[in-house]
Amino acid sequence: MKKLRIGPNLAGVIILAVVLALFGAIDIIRPFGLRFSDLSGRVVTIDTMIRIGILTIVVVGLNLLMGYAGQVSLGQAGFYALGAYASGILATLASRHGMLVGVADTWWWPWLAILIGMILTGLFAFLVGKPILRLKGNYLAMATLGLGFIISILSGQLSTLTGGYDGLTGIPRLRIGEFALWPAQRYYFLVWGAAIAVIVVALNIVHSRIGRALRAIHTNETAANTSGVDTEHYKVLALVISAMLASLAGSLYAHFQSAVSPSPFGFKASVELVTMAAVGGLSSIWGAPLGVAVMFILSNLLQSQIEAVFHIRGGEYELIIYGLVLVLIMIFMPQGAISSLGAWRRNARREKEGAA
Amino acid sequence: MHRKPQRQPVRLIIAALVVFGLAALSLLLGSQKGLQPQHYIQLTIDGVRAGSIYALMALGFVVVYSVTGIINFAQGEFVMLGAMICLTVNDLDLPLPPALKLIAAILAGVLLTTLIGAGMERLTIHPARRSPPVTLIIITIGVTITLRAAALLVWGADPHVLPAFTTLALEDKIFRFGGVIIQAQSLWIWGALIAILILLYFFLERTLLGKALRACAVNRRAAQLVGINPDRMALLSFALAAALGAIGGIVLGPVTRPIYDMGVMLGLRGFVSAIIGGLLSVPGVVVGGLLLGVVENIAAGVTDPAYKSVVSFIILIAILLFRPQGIIGGGEKPAEEA
Amino acid sequence: MSLKRTSFLALFCILAIALLGGCAPGKGTEYKIGFVSSATGNYASLGLPEAKTAEMIQKQLDAMGGITGPDGVKHPVKIIIYDDANEADRAVSSVSRLITEDEVIAVVSSTGSGPSVAQIPVCEENKTPCISMASAKAITTDAKTNTEYQWMFKTPQTNGHAGEWQAAYLKAMGLTNICILYTNDGYGKDCFANYKAAAEAAGLSVVYEASYAATDTEFSAQMAGVQASGCQAVEIGSTPPVASLATVAVRNALPETPITLGHGVCNQSFITTAGEAAEGAVFPCGKVTVLDQLADTDPQKAVLAKYIADYTAHTSGEAISTFGGHAWDALEMVVDALGSLKNGMSLEDQRIAVRDYLENDIVNWPGISGTFTMSPADHNGLTKDSLLFVKVEAGQWVAFPETDW
Repeated sequence: MKKLRIGPNLAGVIILAVVLALFGAIDIIRPFGLRFSDLSGRVVTIDTMIRIGILTIVVVGLNLLMGYAGQVSLGQAGFYALGAYASGILATLASRHGMLVGVADTWWWPWLAILIGMILTGLFAFLVGKPILRLKGNYLAMATLGLGFIISILSGQLSTLTGGYDGLTGIPRLRIGEFALWPAQRYYFLVWGAAIAVIVVALNIVHSRIGRALRAIHTNETAANTSGVDTEHYKVLALVISAMLASLAGSLYAHFQSAVSPSPFGFKASVELVTMAAVGGLSSIWGAPLGVAVMFILSNLLQSQIEAVFHIRGGEYELIIYGLVLVLIMIFMPQGAISSLGAWRRNARREKEGAA
Repeated sequence: MHRKPQRQPVRLIIAALVVFGLAALSLLLGSQKGLQPQHYIQLTIDGVRAGSIYALMALGFVVVYSVTGIINFAQGEFVMLGAMICLTVNDLDLPLPPALKLIAAILAGVLLTTLIGAGMERLTIHPARRSPPVTLIIITIGVTITLRAAALLVWGADPHVLPAFTTLALEDKIFRFGGVIIQAQSLWIWGALIAILILLYFFLERTLLGKALRACAVNRRAAQLVGINPDRMALLSFALAAALGAIGGIVLGPVTRPIYDMGVMLGLRGFVSAIIGGLLSVPGVVVGGLLLGVVENIAAGVTDPAYKSVVSFIILIAILLFRPQGIIGGGEKPAEEA
Repeated sequence: MSLKRTSFLALFCILAIALLGGCAPGKGTEYKIGFVSSATGNYASLGLPEAKTAEMIQKQLDAMGGITGPDGVKHPVKIIIYDDANEADRAVSSVSRLITEDEVIAVVSSTGSGPSVAQIPVCEENKTPCISMASAKAITTDAKTNTEYQWMFKTPQTNGHAGEWQAAYLKAMGLTNICILYTNDGYGKDCFANYKAAAEAAGLSVVYEASYAATDTEFSAQMAGVQASGCQAVEIGSTPPVASLATVAVRNALPETPITLGHGVCNQSFITTAGEAAEGAVFPCGKVTVLDQLADTDPQKAVLAKYIADYTAHTSGEAISTFGGHAWDALEMVVDALGSLKNGMSLEDQRIAVRDYLENDIVNWPGISGTFTMSPADHNGLTKDSLLFVKVEAGQWVAFPETDW
């Protein structure tokens, strides 16, 4: 049984890795002057792919928390912000504040900062998770919403630390020794390497003791509790994992943008993250990359095609259609795209068997 | 909640101590800033005005949530639509005296928004009514995005003007009592809230439709068994929420300058009020809204106004942690598991 | 892949190359300019007129058939327009798409300070000139070294200029204690920092400062502070609608206290939404809003008149705002710079040449927002005199020169 389940996942990871590596290679080699973006009629660029990769990491965490532990978080962008700011502040210690010169300007310091950010964010999630996770359903969503809001407001207010609304600039690119993980074509490999690693780890979690415990909680918390599952422990664990993943993604984002400001981490971002998770589907980790990709491609497609097709220019039309498409997706694929894909594949197989 | 029930007197004493402590802290901070008694009165009056709007918003959330279990993110857009439609009709060149025109505009704003709310339920919520709650919430988010963008298209990005009800002009009548100022529009806002509460009471307690709605909120399955159609109740709840939102937007309109994205922050505050009130009780969310308005205004006054919204979210989290059933309404049914 | 298809592909490639080569002698290569503004989102009232100005300039360039270089070669121009909804992420994404995918020579971006600051690394690393339409100092000046970024420029008058005007006026009135109120966002914070610095430089003391959210409708907390502090005038750093509401609140609480504002309120929207409360309010404005009150000798007058006529025609009568002017200045500077390029330069060289032109050859350049003189030490090129002090009287802006104070 276990082998059967790991099989398609392993295949999925390998296919994803190979396809993504090919995409990346195209943009570096540029066969016949062809660029990666030409594959999609210039809708999806390397820049978009990196953003998809970064948010995939956040949404995988959210997927574990929502889909497996059944706990909705409307403040995930807050954890994402914590990671981004941890990296942003620590990596510019030497250049902005003249602190730790000789340490904070080495190549390994930003990597350490990423780790520190993850640990701090995890710790924060642990401390707030204990009381907050006693709440259920919508109430947990509201508490995390409040938390996310407070983080996003503070990031604009504590300007000596965060650079206020203008944010922090001059965050260095990541390097390994002398080898810079930049330009974007190189950074792409780092981000997707991390994203695939996160997917693999998450798949393992899902099929481990923790995953089973989480699903038990999702199905029926009281039953799980009476049958000996320490529900509180596992829920906090899921929150901590998802927060640490969000923090990792935030750090990768900070080094990608080379600048951090409060605007990408507000309430809207949290809602978008939940939307991506739900559109992809909460029943499988694979829903995460799918959901993120669908939403990004939809938005890029609208941005580039509306003018071409309707000869009107205006973000209003884009947003109107974006909202409508979102509603349609949720009406026709209420369990997310991944479930619909699964159902479609099962149907196809059944038909094939029926025909044979 | 698996918490040991504390004895009632102990809780009351703790609550009293907290309230007393916060009040003392506010006075201390305020005296350092040189605030006079009239400032506190002014802060409270304006807080009650803001809180009344939050309460109207929160009522919309409650009506939808209690009947359908959906948190309707589009509630803020109903407020915006109400104000925008009203001011558009009011700007039309109708052969009516200004007062009548305003009344017509108000009616148009409420009616059209109600229709939009009902249409939203029929077109987007109804087809997905058997989906998980997260899916339904995201549908309301999609509708929000579309409505807001459509408003940007129709009304542009500039703020608009709705005349004050008393003067029928941009400048409102202002009553001054010593150093305290009350705008006439504040009275309209309070009047609207009170009128709505009375109407809502009669509707829910005295009419068959209202009773059916309440039955549906208490137990949908049981309501269905006695012949109530939950689908129709869901439609009714959205229409009612839209009407409440529209009225809120219209009475607030003259105090603010309606703009296409005004629903964002209002929706959120209304939502926080609804949580403070426990999401299920009408008196609870009204108290919640008023309390939020007053507390955040006074907190902003005695500290730094930049942290006004931080205060409201701290209240939100504190309420969730210590009284998740809301500040009043201890006997309400606890939060449903999603 | 079959042989047939391979050969077809090869043929196609050869054809394409031949076509491209064939174009070269008669007509120059197409010049591409990137343009990002916040046509939606909470800065839409600023970003929309900017985007419309960009469309208008595209039309005008099309009508002229493009830009003619010093060698007489005519280049068609394409302005690629994106919307960032005032989100830093979308701005950076769009700018990097423009630079690396669309291969534009220069970028005009963006409406808000936040997105404009966020795009600095992309412009600097890719060595592409970027002109912002936002006013914060951090867009062009590196705070660490206090020098100008190499590739960043901006066209609006700065909040520092606005602060100087207000401070000079309040000082001339003989006041000493002032309050500053501002929106709690990037624009408001920049206003506050600059107003405060200018006020203190002029010997005024700031006795109270407070902010409010752009969506606030209650100001009693701020008014209590203003009243308690006993200040003699209030400076407001906001854009409508909240600027109007704050003005109304100050007017209601303190009917006699002078109110000064920044140039963020220089659109019709402020007067229509603030109503009578705006009467007597004073603030500096770009000249585009008070054209008929300008002296005929003003070097900008001709440019302003043409822009107003063109924009009104293009939008079928929409009101003029200073924001569209920021876009006009930025784009026309780039167009001028492109006009100095010879045919056949590489993209990299074109970008360097445009940058150098912007830095060195924009001298006494009459634009909409002022007469620009850029230099390596100043990538904005405007002075306090780019703004004109005005007073609201009977629902109109009226020039209010120093001699009348």
